[in-house]
Amino acid sequence: MATKNYWEGSERYLCDPELAQAFHISRTLGMPLLIEGEPGTGKTELPLQYAADQQLDLFVYPAGSKSNVEQFVAKFDHVKYLRDSQIEILNAQREEKGLNAQLSTAGRRTESLSDYVLKGPATQAFSAPHSVLLIDEIDKAPREFPNDLLYALSHRKLVMPESGEVVEVSENNMPAIVITSNREQELPTAFKGRCIYHYIQFPEADKMRDIIQKHHPKVSNQIVDTALDIFYQLRKIGLERSPTTRELLNWLKYIKTFSTKEAVTKLNALDGLGTLIKTQADFEKVQRQLSLSGGQPPMGSSMN
Amino acid sequence: MFTTLPERFKQFHLHVDVRTLLLLQKSIDRSLVRTIGDLYNVLRTFVVKSPELMGPYTRAFYDYFLSIDIRPGEALHDAVLRSETFQQWKEQHQGRLNEEDLTREDMASLFLDEVHMTHYDIQKIIDGRALWEKDRGDMADDDNDAEAGDQEKRPLDRMADYSDLSLEELMQRMKEVLEQQNSKHSGGSHWVGTGGISPYGHGGAAKDGLRVGGSGGGKMARKVMGDTNFFPVDLDAILNDNNIDAALASLKGIMEESAQEKLDVKQTIDKGLERGGLFLPEIKNETDEKLQVLLFIDNGGYSMHPYIKAVQTLFRKMKTRFAHDLETYYFHNTIYGQVFSDPQRRKRVPIERILSKNPHYHVFFVGDAAMAPYELSNQSLNTYVEMTRHFKKCAWLNPEPLKFWDHTLTIQIIKEIIPMESLTPAGIERAVLRMNKQRKTDY
Repeated sequence: MATKNYWEGSERYLCDPELAQAFHISRTLGMPLLIEGEPGTGKTELPLQYAADQQLDLFVYPAGSKSNVEQFVAKFDHVKYLRDSQIEILNAQREEKGLNAQLSTAGRRTESLSDYVLKGPATQAFSAPHSVLLIDEIDKAPREFPNDLLYALSHRKLVMPESGEVVEVSENNMPAIVITSNREQELPTAFKGRCIYHYIQFPEADKMRDIIQKHHPKVSNQIVDTALDIFYQLRKIGLERSPTTRELLNWLKYIKTFSTKEAVTKLNALDGLGTLIKTQADFEKVQRQLSLSGGQPPMGSSMN
Repeated sequence: MFTTLPERFKQFHLHVDVRTLLLLQKSIDRSLVRTIGDLYNVLRTFVVKSPELMGPYTRAFYDYFLSIDIRPGEALHDAVLRSETFQQWKEQHQGRLNEEDLTREDMASLFLDEVHMTHYDIQKIIDGRALWEKDRGDMADDDNDAEAGDQEKRPLDRMADYSDLSLEELMQRMKEVLEQQNSKHSGGSHWVGTGGISPYGHGGAAKDGLRVGGSGGGKMARKVMGDTNFFPVDLDAILNDNNIDAALASLKGIMEESAQEKLDVKQTIDKGLERGGLFLPEIKNETDEKLQVLLFIDNGGYSMHPYIKAVQTLFRKMKTRFAHDLETYYFHNTIYGQVFSDPQRRKRVPIERILSKNPHYHVFFVGDAAMAPYELSNQSLNTYVEMTRHFKKCAWLNPEPLKFWDHTLTIQIIKEIIPMESLTPAGIERAVLRMNKQRKTDY
């Protein structure tokens, strides 16, 4: 089976062997993979890159504070249904009066309830064999949401509302389900129990270098060295919100517009710190710490 | 199989149940588990459900499967060097290892590399080796053809063909292991006993410079020991910088923000009538309460001093992450008719103003509740009673060690009025759980 192969990442995506193995385990066992880790460690990238690399269908469900299983599985379109049934009455009345013009229901028939079922990402993924289904940031969803998913996940079966149609998938055709979470709230134990769990560790300097290499291949070593040095220092001083991979990449994106020499000066002056540091308190702390330890002047340039 | 696993893992505060064992069985059936390294990784994805369980898991795994007991705070290397398993392994490899060249640390590293070698790693070695063999060109081609059929199915066998004896031994070993475990392996609790890990190594592959040493789990396991991020902080220790995140995790439990779509019956009927009988369902969003916290901190007196910073950090962290309502007030020893909105206790806030707040607030008192009995006057007690009457969700977090509670009269009295827990991650969790329960009965 194509989708059960071990996948090590692609040219554009550096997949940690541990994560690759966990992903393989989850696909082989037909269980969802729950990835947790700091923001910006590439949790969401895994399924996206996997689907792109293996050319599989991808379905994404971004969870939010209003997420519910209806949106995720399928929704019965009451409005359309009511509209169509009213149209039927209207058409009958028109006919009675001898009017020819009929209002259209776009081919939907009120007798067949499944015409009014709007399929959500889960149903679409379950109907497409070997697809990839991503549930992004499930920790942002209300607590009921993961609990409501339990049945679907463990029985591989979805029941459509109103029409009662059952969408089932065999274990072999099971989509690769990846769920990401930033741990903003603890997920229910029962839910975690049905997932393969993997915690993405924050990448160390040499791995980070590889990641930068993949994203900004043309940046000179000198810039990368300086940036990494500062980046890991910033992570060490215990900020409220430590900068992450994503922010480092953004920083470099800005810095690489300059020539190497200029860029290094700018890095050392912490120019563009706003891409890395996101709260006022952290900003002040960085200023204090770095001016104490490094004897550098306060970064007036970045404050402007 | 592994019938003792749940019980033994429980000693390390890990949850393993029948489902885990069945999953493990399934993984073995689907040949996900072929080496101990695999076993470590597969079992980890079932058992470890939050990063701080990595440490205990690694300890439990070494203890159960390798009989290596890692003492708290000990580095993995030292535990390995101390263990009998390692001694046995060393004896078996006497010939292969050049003891003169290797320090004890190197040996332990070698051992760990072997333990954590996964079948993915072995596959890589095979692939690399096969490539290498092909390049040489003097390989007999018919050999390959004869095995072509088998190769597809059993990559590990293929490995045995190309690699030296020790790897073949591994196969034998793993086969035995599988048989044992198929036949309801009865002897003892250890699946792969002390002997199990030894026979496989990087063997021939290493000589070709293709050695891939436990790329995944091994490094992780080594890193995990002694890294507080992966080791549970003592959940029963009084709040400090180390366990503040654990406490935060339990505080998160009170977050029960949710929004649900509900059919608005009244609106549907009204609008339907307006439309002259065309009833379209009107949906309304029902948002549950958001988390609102009132925090009262006793910052008077030396007894409370060490904890104030930790408590404030805890709630501030929570605030920055969730941006919910959090109001902090201060008092000295006990609350009379007023509290203060600044730590210096200059800005007074009459208690009436507090009591006029929305009763949905979660109220936390943090203080040692230890004072001279006369200080805890009738007025003060009344204040507490009124507060608990108004705010249904109250908890007192006390940094004083639990064993002193019984000996302090004022703690005894306040405890009767406000549910008290110790100021530890576990205590906070209990308080939060009770608050959540209360909410359910309230509505």
